[in-house]
Order: sequence, then C-alpha cells, then structure tokens
Amino acid sequence: MKQTSGLEADCRQSEPAFCTVACPFHLDVRDFVSKLRRGGFNAAYRTYLNAVGFPGIVSALCPEPCREVCPRQNSGGAVALRLLERAALEYASNLEPNCYNVPRKPWRVAIVGAGISGLACALRLAGKGCDVTVFERTAHLGGHLNDLLPPEVLLSEISRQFMHVKYELRLRETIERLDDLACDAVYVATGARGSRFGLAADPGGAFASERAGVFLGGSLMGADSMGAIADGLQASAAIERYLKVAGMNQPAAVDRTRLRLDGTRVDPVQPVRPENGRTFTRDEAVAEAGRCLKCACDVCVRSCDLMGYFKKYPRRIAEEVEITIHPGTLDGNGTVATRLISTCLQCGLCRETCPQGIDTGALLLQSHRIMRKKGAMPWAFHDFFLRDMESASSEGGLCRPPPAGERSRYVFFPGCQLGASDPRYVTASYRFLLDHWPDTALLLSCCGAPAEWAGDEEIRDRALEKLRRDWLALGRPVAVFACPTCRKTLGRHLPEVEGIFLYELMRGQGLTPDRRFSGEIASVFDPCASRGEPDLQRTIRELAEGAGFELRPLPQEGRFARCCSWGGQVAVAHPPFARHVVKARITAGDAPYITYCANCRDIFAAAGKPARHILDVVFGGPEADRVPPTVTERRRNRALLKRQVLAEFWREEGKAEEVRMNLIVAAELRKKMDAELILETDIAAVIEHCEASGRKAFDPASGSFSGYRQIGPMTYWAEYRVGPDGGITLLNAYGHRMSIEGRSP
Amino acid sequence: MTGNRVWLCHRCQREMVPQKTDFGYLGHSFYADILACPECGLVLIPEELAKGRIAEVEMQLEDK
Repeated sequence: MKQTSGLEADCRQSEPAFCTVACPFHLDVRDFVSKLRRGGFNAAYRTYLNAVGFPGIVSALCPEPCREVCPRQNSGGAVALRLLERAALEYASNLEPNCYNVPRKPWRVAIVGAGISGLACALRLAGKGCDVTVFERTAHLGGHLNDLLPPEVLLSEISRQFMHVKYELRLRETIERLDDLACDAVYVATGARGSRFGLAADPGGAFASERAGVFLGGSLMGADSMGAIADGLQASAAIERYLKVAGMNQPAAVDRTRLRLDGTRVDPVQPVRPENGRTFTRDEAVAEAGRCLKCACDVCVRSCDLMGYFKKYPRRIAEEVEITIHPGTLDGNGTVATRLISTCLQCGLCRETCPQGIDTGALLLQSHRIMRKKGAMPWAFHDFFLRDMESASSEGGLCRPPPAGERSRYVFFPGCQLGASDPRYVTASYRFLLDHWPDTALLLSCCGAPAEWAGDEEIRDRALEKLRRDWLALGRPVAVFACPTCRKTLGRHLPEVEGIFLYELMRGQGLTPDRRFSGEIASVFDPCASRGEPDLQRTIRELAEGAGFELRPLPQEGRFARCCSWGGQVAVAHPPFARHVVKARITAGDAPYITYCANCRDIFAAAGKPARHILDVVFGGPEADRVPPTVTERRRNRALLKRQVLAEFWREEGKAEEVRMNLIVAAELRKKMDAELILETDIAAVIEHCEASGRKAFDPASGSFSGYRQIGPMTYWAEYRVGPDGGITLLNAYGHRMSIEGRSP
Repeated sequence: MTGNRVWLCHRCQREMVPQKTDFGYLGHSFYADILACPECGLVLIPEELAKGRIAEVEMQLEDK
C-alpha cells in the first residue's frame, strides 16, 4: 500500500483502551460497557464470561487495576467496573456457559496443579476438544483461592463453568517427573511455592519453558490471583499453537497502548453510588456505564464532517481509496471511494485535530489528482465550478496598474467570489485602498482553488501562471487579499507573492467607521482557510468589536475553524452531505455570524442564517439577511463589477452586457435553477440551439416546446413558450449527466 | 411534465412514441425506452425521468 503505509502506521484508532491494557484479562471494556448502556445485561455477561473464564470468582476478587488508569479518576472518579461486572452477573437471565458440539482433537494435555490457573487452562483446552488430565497433589480444587473465597462460591463457580466440559481430574496425585506424563503438552501451574521441575522460563514465547511442549504460569511464576486465572486462559492459546505448529513462540499479550485521549472528552460527571451501598440496580448500572468514555482515538470522526458523516476512520478511508485508485479488476470496477474522494471539504481540520497529525485530506486530494489523470473521476462533479473559474478570469477578469500611474506598491486581489456576491464589496474596498495607497493596482481573477479541489493540476497551474505573469507585469507588488482561500492557494503555489489582508490594512488605518452596531451580538465565523492566520482572525474580531458588536465565541473557531461546505466544491458530488455541513455550521451558534469569506456569508444567508461579511460591518453595507445572488447573477455581478471599476477608476466605458435573449424566468424557477447550479445563460444556449436547428418537441395542447443540448458533461433541458413578440418564457429547466447517444439500432 | 401529454416532433410533425434510445455515461452504454420521433429520432426526457431513474443510474455508475 504505497499511498497509505504512513497513515496506517501512525493512526491510533485501533489502539486498545487504557483499562483493557491494565486488565489481566484484557477485557474489551468498550464493548462490555456499550452493551450495558443499552441494558443488554445478557450480552455484557457473555462478553465478560468469555474474557475472564470464571466471572463469579473474578467479579468477587478483582482489585480493579483499571481504576488506576481510568481518565475519569481525576474527573469525578474512575468508572466502577467491578460493580458493573457484578451487575452483569446479577441481571443476566442465564449464567450458564454455552454448550458447543466441538469435535475431539487428537491431543492429550496434562496440567499439573488444580489451582485456579490450571483449571482455567483446562477449561479452555478441554472446551476446544483436547483430552485434558489435571493432576493435583492435594485433595481439593482451587488452590490458594480456598483462602480467599467461601467454598460454596468457589466450587459452585468452578462446577458451573465445567458443566459442559469433560476432563479428567486426578486428586492426591503428585507428579515427580514430567517424563512420566504420557501427553503432547504440559501446563505447569503448581502454585506460589510449587515445583518447576527444574525448568526456567524461555523469553522467546509467552508461558514457554526451555523445554518444548512444557509451559509455566500462574502463581508459580509470580502472578497474583487474577493474573493466575488470566495466565491459565492465555497459556491455553500458547499450548494450542504448540500443538498445531510445534512453536513455543506465542507472542505475549499487548501490555501497552499508544492511545492518546482528547482531553476535551473528559467532562466531569459524578460517579453513580449504589443506593444500597453494595450493588447497582439496573438503572444505576446503566447510568454508571454511561460515564465510561469508551476511550478511543476518535477525534477525527468527531471533528471531521466527512469522517463523521461516512462513519469511517482514516485507516478505512485509506484502504478504500487504495482499491479505488488501483482497482484489482481490468475493467476498473470497484472504485468504491470515488464519491468519498470527491466529498472532502479540503479544510485541513483532520490534520489539525489528529494527535498524530495524519492528513487524510491530503491523501484524498492526491487520490483525486490520480483519478483525474486517469479520467476516472465523474467530471460533472467539478465542471460547473471549473467553468465558473474560467468565466471569472475571462469575462470577469481584469488586470490594471494603479489609475494614477504605472508603479504598483500593492495589487488588490479580491478573488472571484467577493465581487460575485456583491460588486460593492470590491469597489468600496478599492476606493479605500486608493485613498490611502494610490499606487494600488487591481487584479480580478480566480486563484485556481476550484481546479486544485478538482484535482486538476494542469488547469490550476495555468491559472496560477496567468496570475504570476500579471503580477510580474505589475512590478511584483504586495498582494492585498480579501479571501483567505486565495491567500492559502497562492501561499502554497506562488510563495514568491508577498501578501497582506485587506482587513489588516483597514485596521491599521483605524477603519471601523463608528459604533453603529453597538449592543448587537454576533459570532465571528472563521473561514476554514483562515486556520493558519491567527493575526487575521484577531483583526476581524477587533474590527467587529470596534463597530460595536459584542462577540460570542463559537464552539470551534480559530485553529479549529470549520468549512461552510464550499471547500472542495462538493455540492454536486454529494448534495446531502453539503446540506448536512451547512446545517451543522448554522446551528453552532445562536447569534448572527460575521465572516470574512463571501462564500461562507452567502451559503449561511441562503440557509436562513443571518450573516454579514466583515465588509458589511466596515462599510455599513446591507443587512445580514441580504438574499445572496443566484449562480447566474454571480456571473453577471462579475461582469458588472468589471464595467464599474473601469468606469469609476479608469474612466473607460466598458461594453454593456449583450442581451442575447429576452428570457423570462419566474422567481420560483430561478430559485430552483440556482439550487441545481443551472445557469440561465446555459438554458438560453439550449433554447437558441433548439430554435436554430428546429430540433425540439412541441406540445400542441399547451403550445410549449421542449429541447436539449449537451454542454460539457451535462445535458440541459428547457421547456419554454415563445410569445407573439418573440419573447421566451422559460417554463422549466433541468439537467442530467448521462449523454444521449441516439436511437438504438 | 409530460404525464399523458402528446408531444410532436416539431420538424417532422410526427407524434413522439417510446423507442429504444442509447445512453452513455462514464464509459458505460445502455438503452431505455424514451419518447422519440419515429422519423428523425429526436428524443424527449421528462424531468421525472431525469431526476428519477436516470439520476439513480448515474449515481450507481459513479459509485460502482
């Protein structure tokens, strides 16, 4: 796995919980507790039984080493696991072990010592069909546990667990020499002062002695009561391995974890105290199980929209991406992660929050590029945005030296979306810049981010090269950015362009006009591209506070800034995901938002969340509920902006927009087309084509026409009516990605 | 949009009737019965079909 090896080695998602590692039985506490939380006492008991072998004994005697490592110990108190285990025993409806019809194995195993360790080993091996004989020199079972538990508890638990398991028990039989035992393997568990038969432990394998086929464990090897049981259970696996493959090299159980816990998860919750002072009621057990943090490294799925939505961890994503970009079949089938790859917001939050700094977003972007190069990415996912980008740098594009002269100290680069949202953002800002720095040039274009997100490096580099040439022609001025994404993109790909944010220049000039918003409450929504720009984030807050706003922090901002849903341009690839992200963002805070990305502002406003651009605050612009322009209007706004700046700053009269068709579109239909990213200009092109070619269907009952045209990877349909004056009323518009090949033969 | 509407091919003035029509997407080809002119083959895809079955197949192919 070329792509993913680093990620797989680093990701700690599958590391065991602290308590599981501390537990001699490595009980999967996350699983056990999950079952208890939903009141599944039977299921929890089975999990516990499978881990500890003798639940009645372990739940009575375990000294709970898990408490020492529980992250809750300093936050309300460690989870009372032993009480939960007792509750599982108390409320499970059936404590009897399952009876399995296991085929007999050809192996004979001798166990020396009928203490609890030997019995645990016998329980497992006999349960797997081995012919097990236990030799005990005294007249009773249980070894040193007889000193710790009443015989009725100890013996009834032993007899319950062995109720379906047959083995031979030879009491009062002392083994002097192991050679006397006619068997295939031996487990020596003769207790604290018992005989080792002269054998030393072999560090090459768990429970291994230096003699092949002989294993040592339990109190004999220094284990305490719980360790002795665990040794017996785990030694059975080492013995089984030896019986099957003759190896004495069973790996030791994992005794450490690389898990790191996100501290924010440890919110103090008081422990549940049993009302009777001894045992939990069912409800108390469920409540206490609810306190368990189920420690796991899951910060990525909790913070990243994509991983949370798809419920996939980086390791799983890496695997799916790998088989998608390198499918195992010749016809390329099995590209399971195509949509996943296209749905990453490219916001960088995964890397910021991962304790290991794993950059799943970078993996997805790189995979996107590979898929693009192979022509395997459904291009309709990105076509609209790339055409928009092209339009922003052609009909909406402009590069002019300062109106007052040729030398440029600064160049204002507002990006493609600011003027598209409202041309006044750009004209007012440029006016401000010229007032203070008349040697400021203007560059209207796109930074190439849409091509970057689409994985098309060729288009991105063409856009960047054009920008670089313009920048060189202007005399290498300092770029004044309004959009954090432009800054991020140029910072990454044109690092030679020095830059500053418009808002920093505004703050430097004391430009917060007055306290006109005095008493208003708002939250600053940091765009995801501002993540690495703490000065910018501070500046915006200072400007907002200077204008009188009382600011309320959002749960995640600053370093942990989140994407509004625009990043990665995922709206075509996965519309429900994009809606999910928008909803999560607009419900993160009750107060209206102030942001400094035109896309964030417009997306939130379109979803009904009052949102201002910081330029609305600085210049006292429209209200926070300004209806954002449609995709068609955004393009018109760019063309309008170009004409306005040429007229105002360079006294040039630009050519007015050519009205090619008098297309009448009702407001409701306009809204629908906007939601489906259908441009009125594209629909006009469809109608032009239908009218010119005559290729259209006609409904005599309604007098309407219907026809289509393929534009790029999309096929657009228009249903329309032609008025007596030649005016065209659009009745409906829609599109699909499949292309119409023609009549089948 | 079409429901039980009768559509004529504007050029041929023939009533459009369901006919096997070929489609292509992401390198895959398939056909479906679509309203088409029996003479010139001009097709009509109503919105319900574009947003329904066609969109479903598009998604299946993208996720294949």
